[in-house]
Amino acid sequence: MATAIQNSGATAPSAHPGEALLVLLAAMTPEQLERVIASLTASFPTEELLIASPDATLDAPPADAHPSLRIVAAPIRNSAWTLTAADFVNAYQLAEKHEVRAILLLGAESSSLCSSALYDLAHAVLTTTDLAVPCYDLPPHAGLVNSAILYPLTRALFASRVRFPLAVDLGLSLRMAKCLSDAGQRFIAINQGETPLWPINEATVAGFTIDQFDVGTHVQPAGPDLNTILPLLTGPLFSDIEAKAAFWQRFRQLPPSRNAIPIQQAPPNDLAAKIAPMISAFRLAYTNLYEIWSLVLPPNTLLSLKRLAATDAAAFHITDSLWARIIYDFLLAYRLRTINRGHLLGALIPLYLAWVASHFNIVASGGDPEGHIEAVAAAFETEKTYMVSRWRWPDRFSP
Amino acid sequence: MQNTFATKLQPEPSQSPLPLSPDNASIWHHMSDALHQSLDRVLSLLIAILPGILAFIVALVIFTLIGMALSALLRRGLAMAKFDEHLAHGRGNVNWAPSTSPTALIARVSFWSCVLIGLILGVSAFDASFAAATMLPSSLLPFLTHVVGAAILLIAGTFIARFLARSVLIGAVNEQLQYARFLSLGIKWLVLVLTAAMVLEHLRIGGNIVGLAFGILFGGIVLTLALAVGLGSRDLVSRSLESHTDHSSESSVAPPATRPDDSIQHF
Repeated sequence: MATAIQNSGATAPSAHPGEALLVLLAAMTPEQLERVIASLTASFPTEELLIASPDATLDAPPADAHPSLRIVAAPIRNSAWTLTAADFVNAYQLAEKHEVRAILLLGAESSSLCSSALYDLAHAVLTTTDLAVPCYDLPPHAGLVNSAILYPLTRALFASRVRFPLAVDLGLSLRMAKCLSDAGQRFIAINQGETPLWPINEATVAGFTIDQFDVGTHVQPAGPDLNTILPLLTGPLFSDIEAKAAFWQRFRQLPPSRNAIPIQQAPPNDLAAKIAPMISAFRLAYTNLYEIWSLVLPPNTLLSLKRLAATDAAAFHITDSLWARIIYDFLLAYRLRTINRGHLLGALIPLYLAWVASHFNIVASGGDPEGHIEAVAAAFETEKTYMVSRWRWPDRFSP
Repeated sequence: MQNTFATKLQPEPSQSPLPLSPDNASIWHHMSDALHQSLDRVLSLLIAILPGILAFIVALVIFTLIGMALSALLRRGLAMAKFDEHLAHGRGNVNWAPSTSPTALIARVSFWSCVLIGLILGVSAFDASFAAATMLPSSLLPFLTHVVGAAILLIAGTFIARFLARSVLIGAVNEQLQYARFLSLGIKWLVLVLTAAMVLEHLRIGGNIVGLAFGILFGGIVLTLALAVGLGSRDLVSRSLESHTDHSSESSVAPPATRPDDSIQHF
């Protein structure tokens, strides 16, 4: 309890100016907090650490044990499952106030990360990198929105191989934090502070350096259900892509491939049991939402979906190029406001479930899940010309 | 014209075998006069409101042309001044869609404002000429405004019905409800019936019958939907009631239909 605890809202200047690293934590239990602090102090025994936590009033470790450590109160995050615009603004304000050199943002389940992972992320932004991103080792039935939409779109449009573009644990240099804070301020100005920001997109456009680190297994924080989460993620992503159209329409060389991430294998039977409800959801949607899809998707795609709806569960497979075109068409419809944006993103959910069923089919039949995700991302790159053509001439270009 | 009518209406002496009495002749004469007068009135009214109709058309056409010219001028001027880029820079480098750019929006608003002004002027001119030409105490304008109001109600009602129908359809499909389309159609017709009743009420057509019919129809649709949903989810409701009344048997309650995302972490 002897550790200094300051209120972040206090106006008094920091008693220890110039800490090396600000570690901004999400709300967590005292045990988790203790684990994270132990990992951090083990990783940085000599560095001055400033830990900002919403639970700063909880029992903190004694100052004698960690003399280089200081804990201050931080604002509570709006969302446990992602970083929002308000979080980046708060992080930069704290960093500026305490004059730190870099920031480490850690999510709700960051106590499951090993100390070497925390070291990698923090050391990178303290030395050379502007944005340090973790690469989690997740089972095949986790992080599927990321694998189906976020990663392939980010890779194809922003030429980045970051596997988890919306990671909840991030390392930020001070200028990267300022860039994200500026982007976040625009959302706060229009009272949309809970909107997720896209650090990879911002860093790529600003020309900052990005590094990715394998951090091993990670417990996923509990998020809302699919019907909520998909529109919450795809809407802001599509808006961000729309805002940065001038950037991604130019050709950019993709950085060289890194080693494949070892994805935990689930028993095939476990996945096979999950496929049937998703296919029935897709078939139900096909009979009911065809009219809405026909406003967004071209006839070729609709024909492919018709065939898919009639396919047996065992042979159910969405080709990578078909999936890429579906997402690009939805992105274009989002931009053109072909139908109400809420309706549009709602109509994407059954198609996403169909992709998940198709992915599970591949994994259940012995296919490499990461290989399939990489193939999907490659298809997004190949179909980018289709996207650019439709983006530039939406009325003239009719597939 | 009066002579023609009179000669046509009066029976020819050679064709009538029976001589007409003085009373019959007087009736024919009065009828002929009444018809002449009504024809005169209609023709004079038509002649009197013709300038009003022409004024309406001319005002509408002129203001539409002005609107088109103004819209084109604004488009060109704002494009030259790079209005969209300046605005996007101020709002965080937003890349506007061609159909929703501020320039297009301003041009469209200016065009439709001109058309609206032309419409109002035309209606005023028409109403003035009509009021001058007729001895009727009431003006045509209040009725026309009612018609315009009813049209706006109808359009708004149709849009709302379509929006709600889509919202319900997508929501119900994503919730795996088998009767999603039926639910969506029910909502759509509910709003359309409500809109139709409001339009008729606004036009003061039908009086109490509309309200009564609407009540019956609306109640019928709600009852149908309630029955459909209630019967469809009978098992679910009974399970829920059982679990509430008997806490001990909670563990034995069968789970609801399997959702696709039960044990999958999508994010």
